[in-house]
Amino acid sequence: MKNLIRNIIYQGKNLLRDAGFSFWVMLYPLILAMFFNIAFSGMMDIELTNIDVGIVDENPIEQVLEEIEFINIHKITDEEVIEKLDNEEIHGFIDEDLNLTVKKSRINQTIIKEIIEQIKQMEKLNRPIENYDFEANYIVDRNQKANSIIVAFFSLIAMFSTYSINAGISTVSLTQANLSNIGVRVNSTPLKKKNFLLAGVIVALFLNLLANGVLLLFVKYVLKIDLLKNIKYSIILIIIGNLFGVSLGMFIGVSNKKSMNTKILIGVASTLFLSFLSGMMGPWMKDVIDEHIPILARINPISIISNNLYRINILESTKTVGEGIMILFSYCGVLILLSYMFLRRKSYDSL
Amino acid sequence: MVVEVKNLVKRYKELIALDHFNMEVEEGEILGLLGPNGCGKTTAINCILSLLNYDKGEIRVFGEKMTPNSYDIKREIGLVPQEVSVFENLTVIENIDYFCGLYIDYKNKRKQYVEEAIEFVGLKDYTKFYPKKLSGGLKRRLNIACGIAHKPRLIFLDEPTVAVDVQSRNFILNGIEKLNDEGSTIIYTTHYLEEAERLCKRIIIMDKGRGLVSGTNEELKSMISTSEKIVVGFTEIEDETVQNMKNILHVMDIEKAGEDYIIKFENGFNNLVNLMNFIEENQLVYTKLQSQLPTLNDVFLELTGKELRD
Repeated sequence: MKNLIRNIIYQGKNLLRDAGFSFWVMLYPLILAMFFNIAFSGMMDIELTNIDVGIVDENPIEQVLEEIEFINIHKITDEEVIEKLDNEEIHGFIDEDLNLTVKKSRINQTIIKEIIEQIKQMEKLNRPIENYDFEANYIVDRNQKANSIIVAFFSLIAMFSTYSINAGISTVSLTQANLSNIGVRVNSTPLKKKNFLLAGVIVALFLNLLANGVLLLFVKYVLKIDLLKNIKYSIILIIIGNLFGVSLGMFIGVSNKKSMNTKILIGVASTLFLSFLSGMMGPWMKDVIDEHIPILARINPISIISNNLYRINILESTKTVGEGIMILFSYCGVLILLSYMFLRRKSYDSL
Repeated sequence: MVVEVKNLVKRYKELIALDHFNMEVEEGEILGLLGPNGCGKTTAINCILSLLNYDKGEIRVFGEKMTPNSYDIKREIGLVPQEVSVFENLTVIENIDYFCGLYIDYKNKRKQYVEEAIEFVGLKDYTKFYPKKLSGGLKRRLNIACGIAHKPRLIFLDEPTVAVDVQSRNFILNGIEKLNDEGSTIIYTTHYLEEAERLCKRIIIMDKGRGLVSGTNEELKSMISTSEKIVVGFTEIEDETVQNMKNILHVMDIEKAGEDYIIKFENGFNNLVNLMNFIEENQLVYTKLQSQLPTLNDVFLELTGKELRD
C-alpha cells in the first residue's frame, strides 16, 4: 500500500509537470470551450419553442398538449399524416393510443417522445396529468434552452472525459520494457508491474477528472452556461468516460511499438472523430447520424456520453443512462482484456 | 558464483544474437563484457535480468534460477541501462528517491541512501534540477545514481560513460572502483577498451553472440600473436627498404601510421636490437623509436577483425 501511494505521488508529479499533458488535458479544453462559445453562440439556435405535433380530433391528450407552451397542435386526419410529415409541416404525429409516428429522429422528435412517455407514466400512476408541469420540465426558459451550443458542449465534455487516453498511453509505455527506457529499469526492479500500472491508472483518472472539473466550472462560471442539472448521473457518466479513455489509451499504448507521439496522435484523432460524429462541430452531424445510421449513435462512446448528458440534464430523462453505462463498461472490459494480453508478458522477445 | 550463464541462445528471427554464450561472475569481481556493436552484450544483460526471453540455456543469479518473478533476486540487483532512463519531470533527488524506494521500504534508511548516492555521483548542487536541465555527463551520473542508490550486491553497468567528457568519465570510473571496493560485484560493458583495462579484473570479448575469449588483461594479451610493437619514424625511407624490413626476425606486419611505421613482432619482447641492426645496415636516420607492449585494443582488433560494424 505504501509503495502504491509512493508510485501514485511520483507518477502524478511526473504527469502533472509534463508541459504537453498540462496543455492538452488542462488548458486545451478551456481554450476549445471558449472558442465554441464564440463560434456557436447565438448562431444556430434550434427553435424548440415551436414543436409541431399532429393529432386527430378528440385525441385524449389534446388538452394536455395545449397547456405546453412550446407545442403547436395541428389537427389532422389519419390519411394526412404521411403527407404532413413528408412536407415537414409537423415534427411528429400522436395517435389516440399515444403511439408516435415520426419521419426523422431529431431533437424535437425526441422531446415529443419524452412527453408521451411522461404522460403514459402519469396515467400508470393514476396521477392527474394536469398537475404535471411540462413547462418546468421541458426547457422553455430561453436562457437555458437546448440549442446547438448545448449539444456541442455536451459533446465537448464527453470528448474531454475520454482524454484520460493520453495518460493511459503514457502509463503503459512506462510499464513495458519493450516500449520505454524507464520500462527497462522498472522491470529490472522488484516492483510488480501491476502495482506500477494501478498507480498509473489512478493518476490518469484523478488528473483527468480534475481537468474535467475545471472545465465544468469554467463553462458554468466564466462562460455562464449552466449545463449540469443532474449532477449525480452526470458525474457517473463522466467517470465512466474517463475509465473508457484510460482503457482505450492502455490498449493503444500497449498494442503496438509506434512512437509515443504517434500513439497520442492516434488517441486524439480517434476521440476527435467520434466527437465529430456525436455533434461536437455542430448538431447537424448528430442529426445526420441519427437519421441515417442511428446504430452509430448507440455504439459511439462519445455519443453515448453526450446524448445521455443531454437527456439527463436537458430532458430530465434517465431512461437510457443504464444502457449507456452498460455499453461503456463493456467497452472498458474488452479493452482492458485486450490490453492484458499484452501487459501480462514479463519478458519480451525484443526490447 | 554470483552469475552463471550456460549455453545461452537468443534468436531474433533469423539472427542469432547469442550463440551458446557462457559466462561466470564471481563475488566481488568486475567483469568486462567487450565487443563490437551488435555483438550481444546488452542482449546478454537483458536475458540475465529476465527482461528478454531466450531460446535455450540456463541463467542462475546468486545460485538461483533467474525468472521474471525472481523479486528477491531483483532486490539485490542494480541496473544502469545504456540509455538514460529517468523521469524527465521529476527532479534529480525525486528520481533517485523514486527508484531507491522500489527496493528500500524504510523511509529513514532510504533518505540516507539517497543522500549517499547523490554524494557518490557528485550531484549535490543539482538535486532540484530536472534531467533536461543537466548536461550529458550529469545525466549519466544521475542514471548511475538511480541504479546504485539501494546498494545492490550485483550491478550491471551498460556503457555508462557513452558521450561524456573526460572529467565526467574519470569521475564515473573512480566511482565504479569505489562501488567494487565496497563489495559490489559489477558486470561492465563498454566500447572504451582503456576503461576495461583499468577497471576489469576479468574480461570477456564477445563477437557475433559468442564469447571469443575470457581472462585477465595479461591472459588476453598473451593469447594474441602480436607480442611487441615498435613505432619508428624516418627522415627518409624507400618503399623497397620498408619491404626489406619484413625480413627482420619475428616481424609479423608493418603498418604505415601517418609519417611513422608500426612494426608488429610476434615473438618475445627483445626485438629492438634486430631493428637497430637493420637501421644501421641500411644507414637510415630515425626520428622516433618507441617500443610498445600490446594493448587490449590489439587483442580486440586481432580477435574481432578490422571490418566496420554497424
